Amino acid sequence: MNNFMLSQFITLLRREVSEHKNLFIWAPVVLGLLIFVVDFLIINALTEVDKARAVEWLARYFDGGNPVDMSAVFVFHTLPFMLILHFCAILYLNTTLYQDRRDSSILFWQSMPVSNLATVISKVVAITAIAPLFYVAVIFVLYAVGILWLIFSGMALGIDVSGLGYMFISAVWSLPVVYLFALTSAIWLLPMVGWLLLFSAFANRTPLIWAIGVLVLLLFLEGFIFDTQFLSNWIQTRSDPDNFIIVEYGGLMDRLFSYDMFIGIVVGSILIAGAVYMRRFID
Amino acid sequence: MKDKILKNRYTLLGTALSVYVLVLVLEGALTGRQHEWWLIDNSLLEMDLRQAIDMGNIDVDF
Repeated sequence: MNNFMLSQFITLLRREVSEHKNLFIWAPVVLGLLIFVVDFLIINALTEVDKARAVEWLARYFDGGNPVDMSAVFVFHTLPFMLILHFCAILYLNTTLYQDRRDSSILFWQSMPVSNLATVISKVVAITAIAPLFYVAVIFVLYAVGILWLIFSGMALGIDVSGLGYMFISAVWSLPVVYLFALTSAIWLLPMVGWLLLFSAFANRTPLIWAIGVLVLLLFLEGFIFDTQFLSNWIQTRSDPDNFIIVEYGGLMDRLFSYDMFIGIVVGSILIAGAVYMRRFID
Repeated sequence: MKDKILKNRYTLLGTALSVYVLVLVLEGALTGRQHEWWLIDNSLLEMDLRQAIDMGNIDVDF
């Protein structure tokens, strides 16, 4: 890939982020603010004695601990962000190619020296690799503000807060795991990414209804005509969160370099290729 | 062949879905893929629900 193509691709990614700020940036910010407000209300309801006990317990729990081992605690608490990311990804993938045709901006973009392949791949990369960065940034700010509050509260109450330094390091150490969790789950769910993009490119109306309806129809036809369940077995396996929940570095390599991941990439690529070719039909 | 596949959006969709289903059926038939819903195996916990169900059948006399 030469410099021109790279800069073109980066411009496409910037376009995706700027056109979908609500899903990429504001969704995690609003969730972070909600979590902050709820935590603030819970902590304010505690007595001074309970607050001191809580800060002291946390400082002792993390004091001297291995940040790598302790980071799993912080990854677990990011599950609401991952749920919102997956929900926003479904919305984004289902509407992105459909919206281009609906508002006729596809005519403008197809007049540009940008291929359909580059456009579709930029959308896949934007939601799988770029969007999680914003979520991780919000999570970092939330953890930093929370831990700083604990440190100042502890110091005001005369508690030894040195252990909270280990807590902060564990929280920071968890951030790459959170990003890799999001990225790995996106790669695992590439067939779903491709499916949503295909129907986003195909449907003239209600792409989500098309995506769900055709899937249900295929499942019914397979069972009715062939009396087999290969498609439903595949979907159940792919949808099982066990296959992409990662809270530590140890689980990552097993997930990334496995046969199931490889076949998922193959199947997802077939559907994404269909979406790329489908984009030429702009009627 | 390419002209037939790319004739309109419906032929393209039909082709993409046919290839998708064909790959999945072949893969399922070759690997014997089964969804083992009773096995929970992730970074948080490992559990076999069949063992948990068996434990529920144990009678304890007090």
